[in-house]
Amino acid sequence: MLNLSSFVQKAQQLLDPNQGLNITDSDRNPSKASLFQAQFRLPASQHPLYEITAELTIPLANATQGDRDRERGYQYAGKLHLSESYLCFSTTPSSFVQSASTPTSSVFTGQTHGGGPSGNGFTFPLSSIRRVERLHSQNFQFALAISTWNGISQEAAKDKDRKDLREQRITIQLASSRQACERFCDGLKKGLRTNVGNVTKLKKVMSECYSEYLLRPEEQKSATPPDAGLGLLFRYPGDPKKLRDRAKMRLWAEYLRDNGRNATLIRQPTFHKLIRVGLPNRLRGEIWELTSGSLYLRLENPTLYADTLAKHSGMESLAIDEIEKDLNRSLPEYPGFQSEEGIGRLRRVLTAYSWVNADVGYCQAMNIVVAALLIYMSEAQAFFLLSALCDRLVPGYYSTTMYGTLLDQKVFESLVEKTMPILWEHLVKSDVQLSVVSLPWFLSLYINSMPLVFAFRVLDVFFVEGPKVLFQVGLAILRINGEELLDATDDGAFISVLKSYFSRLDESAHPKSENPKLRAVTRFQELMVVAFKEFAGITHNSITELRLKNKDAVLNNIESFAKRTAIRNLGPDSKLLNADELAALYDRFYGVLYERQQRDHIIKQEQARRAKNNRSRAAVEAHDDHSIEKGRVGLGPSTSLMDYDAFREFLAGMSKWAISDAPSTPRRETLGDRQSGFYSSFRRSDAALSPWGAGPEPANHEFLQRLFRKWDVGSASALTLQNVVSGMARIKGKRDIMGTINYFFELHDDDGDGKVDREGILRMSEALLFLSRRGLEGTLSPPSSSLALSTDNVNGGSEAPGQSVNERFLGSVSAFIRRCFEYADPDHPQNQNAIQDVQERLDAQKLEDIADEELADPDAFAIGDDDDDDDLLTMESPAESPKTAAIRPDKRFNEPPELELNSSSAGARADGDDMSTRRRVSKAQSEKANAALDPSNPLHITLPTFRMVVLADELLEQFFESSFPTSFHIIEGLGSSATPTSASSLTTFSSLGIGAGRAVNAALGGTAVTPAGGRGLRGVLDNIVTDGMRVAAEVRRRMEEAQRELEKNALPGQRNDDEDDEDEDDVGIGRPSGAGKPGGVYSGDAERRSVRSSDRDLLTGADAEASDANAAAAGRASGSLEVGSGGSGGNGGNEPGKGAGKVVGVEFDG
Amino acid sequence: MADSGAPKPSSSVKLVLLGEAAVGKSSLVLRFVNNDFQENKEPTIGAAFLTQKCNLPTRTIKFEIWDTAGQERFASLAPMYYRNAQAALVVYDLTKPTSLIKAKHWVAELQRQASPGIVIALVGNKLDLTNDSAGGDGEGAGGGDGEDARKVTTEEAKSYAEEEGLLFFETSAKTGYNVTEVFTAIANAIPETSLKTARGPGASSAAARTEEQRVNLNGPRDPNAKEGCAC
Repeated sequence: MLNLSSFVQKAQQLLDPNQGLNITDSDRNPSKASLFQAQFRLPASQHPLYEITAELTIPLANATQGDRDRERGYQYAGKLHLSESYLCFSTTPSSFVQSASTPTSSVFTGQTHGGGPSGNGFTFPLSSIRRVERLHSQNFQFALAISTWNGISQEAAKDKDRKDLREQRITIQLASSRQACERFCDGLKKGLRTNVGNVTKLKKVMSECYSEYLLRPEEQKSATPPDAGLGLLFRYPGDPKKLRDRAKMRLWAEYLRDNGRNATLIRQPTFHKLIRVGLPNRLRGEIWELTSGSLYLRLENPTLYADTLAKHSGMESLAIDEIEKDLNRSLPEYPGFQSEEGIGRLRRVLTAYSWVNADVGYCQAMNIVVAALLIYMSEAQAFFLLSALCDRLVPGYYSTTMYGTLLDQKVFESLVEKTMPILWEHLVKSDVQLSVVSLPWFLSLYINSMPLVFAFRVLDVFFVEGPKVLFQVGLAILRINGEELLDATDDGAFISVLKSYFSRLDESAHPKSENPKLRAVTRFQELMVVAFKEFAGITHNSITELRLKNKDAVLNNIESFAKRTAIRNLGPDSKLLNADELAALYDRFYGVLYERQQRDHIIKQEQARRAKNNRSRAAVEAHDDHSIEKGRVGLGPSTSLMDYDAFREFLAGMSKWAISDAPSTPRRETLGDRQSGFYSSFRRSDAALSPWGAGPEPANHEFLQRLFRKWDVGSASALTLQNVVSGMARIKGKRDIMGTINYFFELHDDDGDGKVDREGILRMSEALLFLSRRGLEGTLSPPSSSLALSTDNVNGGSEAPGQSVNERFLGSVSAFIRRCFEYADPDHPQNQNAIQDVQERLDAQKLEDIADEELADPDAFAIGDDDDDDDLLTMESPAESPKTAAIRPDKRFNEPPELELNSSSAGARADGDDMSTRRRVSKAQSEKANAALDPSNPLHITLPTFRMVVLADELLEQFFESSFPTSFHIIEGLGSSATPTSASSLTTFSSLGIGAGRAVNAALGGTAVTPAGGRGLRGVLDNIVTDGMRVAAEVRRRMEEAQRELEKNALPGQRNDDEDDEDEDDVGIGRPSGAGKPGGVYSGDAERRSVRSSDRDLLTGADAEASDANAAAAGRASGSLEVGSGGSGGNGGNEPGKGAGKVVGVEFDG
Repeated sequence: MADSGAPKPSSSVKLVLLGEAAVGKSSLVLRFVNNDFQENKEPTIGAAFLTQKCNLPTRTIKFEIWDTAGQERFASLAPMYYRNAQAALVVYDLTKPTSLIKAKHWVAELQRQASPGIVIALVGNKLDLTNDSAGGDGEGAGGGDGEDARKVTTEEAKSYAEEEGLLFFETSAKTGYNVTEVFTAIANAIPETSLKTARGPGASSAAARTEEQRVNLNGPRDPNAKEGCAC
């Protein structure tokens, strides 16, 4: 499926070069649907379903004006579009069908000649269509007559009045093949049927429109008019006489009567002319709502505003605090906002919006814009218009980073540079930054720059024609004041020139002119003319292009600022990491979040597209995404929280061990260049559909979950950057081994009581194996043994020192488990009644061992001489009666460590008689030690014990000192060079289908042996790793099993059965080894016993290794032991190297 | 300097105000520029620009004041305003500890990103709300009876200011206490050599300016400290 879709995408790239540049449905590569929505200002729920070339005929005649020539009338050629709930006609020849190229879909972005993106035509909600008739016509024309619910709110009126109401009826001739026409009509029929239910909704919304009141017959006007803003209560700004408000109102009444009102309005050229001369006060709100498309938002969910307020009533938020601060300072000069009425409305609209769009919340300047809207429209209307502004008209202006504002400033600057090069040069020369002047213009839509009456005139046009108007007006301001601005040489002078210009907008533009007509032209009129005539070339298209061009630079700027700030604001923990590390962590953190979000988006889109292809309507409707790009820091941190999956991906970007062992892991090629361009690197579409993108699949190990929980300080199931930095600081920051050891311990100390139980010990060892399975990093002192090995094997060729380190590490881990159990403290003091002499012997031995070890931390010695010691003894107690049936189940638990030990025994025997004698001596003791595995004896290790056990082993020590911290490659990440091990070295894992525990269990099911398939030493290593994992899991499984049995039947007779079972197991396990198969770790029963008894020897050996004296010899011994586990059985000679060599031989033979 | 026409050399200084929202940045400026105080000031969109002259005995300083918006999200616009600023007023609210933290962030930002040698003054505003508004002869001066809303001690802020080499003042824009002093102190602290003349040459002289600054740093820097500002 993935292949198919990427193929499809590739094909599309070939067809349309614009596609694939950016795979998201963003402004960079808008989808057909979003272009369609933008052109007709429709909600995001609407998609272009059908379109057809058509000719619209609007009859001149209407009831009020009597019958005129029906033949004539207005005719428009254009396209008819059908979406889920809208029928739109536009003279703009844009097309949104799948096959349409991007340019034809976005044709409206060019010159619209004042008509706005949707040109002349109409945008009818299907619910406003009353009847569609197929007209019988002579010449095979396919014509439809559409009558609407125009004036729907007066439906209830008496029949007598009905005749005043002219039925709106238009004719549309479809100009296409009969088949296409039929298809379109079928779609229309279906749409009409599904939208029947919305008629009441429509009726309610329409009744709140002032036009309904305006067009009502005189005798019905007694009813209270719909809310047309605070202006009805507090007067509208400006002098109505000067504004010629009455005349405008009459013109509008006529237009609305002839061409339909609100939802059923038909746009003809007069409509746009009427808007250009300024809207009348009482209709202003409604026309804004209509032209901006916020009416359709309201239509979609008429009660959203009231519902939102009700739902959040009484709730607090940061945005509300911010809003409260500004309520008294929003257009304070307007009387409406000196009253509780006006303040209350403003508060409610801003608050409701901050709830529905929490990403934006509240931004200063919104208060001014909303205050202005509220003068002309109701609260609900203002609420939806604010949505339309934030989502479509001025996207990103009010976001938390205000990237839209900054971007448009850049766009504006480049337009000035292009259109007024002399002025631009002057600005550069005198070091005046244009945006300090122009930013407030855009941000407040000129409302607090110009006198209100003029700002509203700008808004009138802005809502029809879109954001380009802001640029055109801005350029015109500079052009008109060009001369004076050229004299200004600093910010101050620059600002004062413009300030005085704005204050004289109502004056004559040509006061000294002879021509009275020219004298009558105000500066504002001049401004409008210059803006729309001289800068007619500034189209939506050119703005879009410039936005795209500047977007990355602006976002990068914001991001570097945000990064700087964020890093500076990190808590004291961050001091433990250096600046580069912090910067890299920051990049990785947000990089992962961004990529994930983008992928998520694409996958959703892909699903939606598939659903659409399957004609599953429901799914299409569910696909209700905003076309606003999200996720980049610069766009406003829509996410600054990292969930567990993101965390895994985050770790996989910098730690080898965090990459999954899944076989088909693609390389993370992008990693190298991610440093430079996090966001730009994510343009490739092919890999994007995998849930992990181009990167490798991250592992999902219990250790990762622990780490996540540990870092998740607030238990929010998500990490903040602060969490990540603090977490990382604890691992990488201090660079001291004790810190790391403590940290690792805490990580496994679930309840924080300073104890880790049996389960925890096994988890720890699993974690150690997990972390080391791709080899250890950092500075590891190569022990002489490995040197010896490598020199010995020069001829063998295939062995590298690193491998032997890893092999040794396995030994270390197995020793770790054993020692943990050995030194663990029992939880139950009742076990105290133990046989003293055995205890003492063990004790003595242990002390001896401990003395042999070089322990860096004196605490670790505590085990020998404090309470721990007593605990230790008691722990041994149940085991001290090995011959009683009672401890038989223990044997089962003995096995796993035995397996480990087994391997070592092979080599250990090679060490000669003196070893074997010691072995004999310690046999009994080791059995006691292994009794620690008895689940009926809960036990735990404490931090000091853990430390001691870790420090008892050179490799573990090095692991905590260096490899673990350095395994986080914060800065450099995992270059492609660092990961080649992933696929090859871990094939054993993947063939087992691993997540450590799971696979191990699987392996335990029957044949415990994985054939290594003759892959040489590498295969051996894999086997060892697998074995190690298996060991840990087997221990656990058996423990659980035994626990269950113990719980079920504590009868003595049962125990014999157990014994039998175990013998069978023994045989079964022993078989492979007997057959000499590679990887035959499990030797026969007898051998196993001896192995078990060699526990102690190994420990001593390892201890000796830790001490410098015997390091070489012991190290060599342990080295060969581990290799022996690969399957050679007891063949190892005195020369460990030779032993290893033989193993290789066996492997190849096998 | 170049401006030989005037008896006293006049030079303009670009000053930017930064700080958390509603700490009283605009009020400080309004007090300084118009000697006025408004309870409900329109929030600053982007930044407001005002000018005020400050007469020192040897020269006249014309402050070009950029009063920035305090809301958090406007922070990303700030670089636009502190660009080339020679002085900065970082304001916090004495009654709001978080505002001092924010102020510290601004100081760090300025020290790293603004023009080198920028004179920064740390100003704790709203002294009228505390009990020790000694200088404020207005309503806030009531010693023990009113509740002390002060949450940031003078010592804490002062020691921080000394550490970072900032000028430090506690003011009340409402009563006017210490407001002009802040601006006078800044005017005095600006090295004479870093001043551009009123109708300063543009970018070309910027390099020269820093050059001069470097050369003259050891000269008599501000022999005339503690001189009033006639405004």
